[in-house]
Amino acid sequence: MTNIVPLNSETHRSLRVYAGASARYGDNQRFAQVVVGEFPQLVVHYPILLSKDADTGAFFCGAMLGFDRNENLFLTEGKGHEGYRPLNLQRMPFYAAGADLAIDLDHPRVGAESGQALFTASGQPTMYLESIMQAFRDLKPGMEMTKLFIATLLQHKLIEPIDISASFDDGTKRNLADLYTINQDVLRDLPDPVVLDLFRRGYLRLIYLMIASLKQIGELATKKNALARGGETLSARMG
Amino acid sequence: MVQSVQSVVIVGGGTAGWLTAGIIAARHHSRMKAGFSVTLIESPDIKIIGVGEGTWPTLRSSLEKIGVSETELFRQSDAAFKQGAKFARWTTGADDDAYYHPLMLPQGFTQINLVPHWLQDGHGRSFCDSVCPQGRLCDDGLAPKTITTPEYKAVANYAYHLDAGKFAPFLQKHCTTMLGVRHVLADVLTVNQHESGDIVSLTTRQAGEIAGDLFIDCSGFGALLLGKTLGVGFKDCSDVLFCDTALAVQLPYETPDAPMASQTLSTAQSAGWIWDIGLPTRRGIGYVYSSRHTSEEAAHQTLMQYIGPTSQELRVRKIPIRPGYRETFWKNNCVAVGLAAGFLEPLESSAIVLVELSAKLISEQMPANREVMDIVAARFNDVTHYRWGRIIDFLKLHYVLTQRTDTAFWRDNLDPQSIPERLKHLLHLWKYQSPWFFDEFDRLEEVFPAASYQYVLYGMGFRTEVGPMDNADSEPMAYRLMQENVTMTRQMCAQLPKNRDLIRKIHDYGMQPI
Repeated sequence: MTNIVPLNSETHRSLRVYAGASARYGDNQRFAQVVVGEFPQLVVHYPILLSKDADTGAFFCGAMLGFDRNENLFLTEGKGHEGYRPLNLQRMPFYAAGADLAIDLDHPRVGAESGQALFTASGQPTMYLESIMQAFRDLKPGMEMTKLFIATLLQHKLIEPIDISASFDDGTKRNLADLYTINQDVLRDLPDPVVLDLFRRGYLRLIYLMIASLKQIGELATKKNALARGGETLSARMG
Repeated sequence: MVQSVQSVVIVGGGTAGWLTAGIIAARHHSRMKAGFSVTLIESPDIKIIGVGEGTWPTLRSSLEKIGVSETELFRQSDAAFKQGAKFARWTTGADDDAYYHPLMLPQGFTQINLVPHWLQDGHGRSFCDSVCPQGRLCDDGLAPKTITTPEYKAVANYAYHLDAGKFAPFLQKHCTTMLGVRHVLADVLTVNQHESGDIVSLTTRQAGEIAGDLFIDCSGFGALLLGKTLGVGFKDCSDVLFCDTALAVQLPYETPDAPMASQTLSTAQSAGWIWDIGLPTRRGIGYVYSSRHTSEEAAHQTLMQYIGPTSQELRVRKIPIRPGYRETFWKNNCVAVGLAAGFLEPLESSAIVLVELSAKLISEQMPANREVMDIVAARFNDVTHYRWGRIIDFLKLHYVLTQRTDTAFWRDNLDPQSIPERLKHLLHLWKYQSPWFFDEFDRLEEVFPAASYQYVLYGMGFRTEVGPMDNADSEPMAYRLMQENVTMTRQMCAQLPKNRDLIRKIHDYGMQPI
């Protein structure tokens, strides 16, 4: 359950929050929601795809971090997140409450002994809290911009489903449904005025970043294979 | 000189008129730049009859082709999902007597006929529950898809229940703003004919004279063009289908979040049957009965008994039904669609699907000129006659399989004189082989496919003989398919949301186009 309350420098003066990336603390996400401002950092590590919110059916952009439920292939326990850690993972366990910040007091990150302080003794935000505030300065308008970007993609029928099937060295297969990408045939056939409009609004760049990121699907499968092999050799050695 | 068909004039602005306009205009939209036009003339004060609130899954592809948004259909036409029909008290009349005619095909239907296998060993399950999950979905009040399923796509096959009074204006808006259909609000005063009988133009009170090359009569029961003007007779079918009157009411829910059924509920009564259709804001309920077998007063009482005590003020509307159809549907340069072509009791929601099929046929076979129109007309008449005949057979099938003898209505329905010859032959044949592919009614775009006959026949306890070794070869496959059906039923029941919850979400969030 969650217990979300507005953050307050008086009541939460001595609260400590674990800041690092960790599967135990909620970074174990196969598909993390992202905003368009993050695309340039994401594209060098992850496939940037679209999926639908199970509750509303609305599309959202996300970075694919693994193949299985709760699998983030970029996490190593104790070593944090390899590559760029999406803002939506960085900001946990904080939420935006209007112009202010809120915190989920029931989140396992809250109260951890090795956690970071939020406020200095005089009640000023620490560097850590500053970084969280910065994350929300990017996230809040970013969510709106991403929504507009997706609405534009839909308007021009630029979204199509992508079937990701991967066979791994251990003989297992994964078929991922409910993921979507850019329809490149439709993109090629767009009328000139639409292309110009997409370019001027900065959307064409985002579209090509999404297309370029598809190359990361293969890399992700290779990574999963390598990790599995690593595990095997280890167990073989131990046996 | 050959007179090309460039101008299509539709008379009547109900569901039939606007659906026909939409289907033709969408199909021929690119020709409009070269002078092709679709005009719909609607009287400013004629009310839409709007009995037909049930549809077939074909409407999904029709609407998708016309280009309307399914989300907007739900929001603007008070639409709901329909996953089939549940027939109560048709077989024995007992309280627990009920079966489903779902919209999903039996498992593996294109590869194997599961009927003989089910007849041999149904493991105590009904035919419907043995071969498809949809009866269970209806029992559990579940929707046929989720909020992430794209528009017009299904998890379980579905059609719609809708408010015909809202559906026609919804289509009108799309046809006039997106498809270039010209909308004329005017009363037709005279129909002007050429000496050949062809209609040349319509003189209207408010909009002067409107000329056309092809006229489509969607004017309702009156059949202004095909009946009144061209004198085409009406073939009465009340000797086969006895119901000739309907008493209809609209019943608001007691609470806005009351559960909403996604099946049309049809409950047999002493002289007919009562429909019960759940829309998001109200239920539509009506008693369709034979006035030869009961009085209006008694029918009214039956209807009120069905509804039970209610705090609502009910306005009962009486709708006369004349079962039957036109002797010809396309004569000269005029073709009738909808009520102008005919009407049958809404037992299997055949009215709107027949409009779709007719409009599609006209649209796909749109004659290039007057010279070849008669060839197209002859084909259209053949196919449409065939369709009306099959619908009548199929509706009558529901009555002839009854074991009820409690009233004259049910006894009279078993009178051999009232059963079409063709249906008699089929019933004879089906004692020894069950309907499936390669059966006679296996045409392209059949209104009711063999699966529908299977659901009704074996839902109503009909028995077909199965020889001792008939199933030997296909036994493993049948076993596997029925097992798969159990698994699929469990998965769907776990995955699908409640019918009303999904409709609320569609209103709140909309469905995605992909």
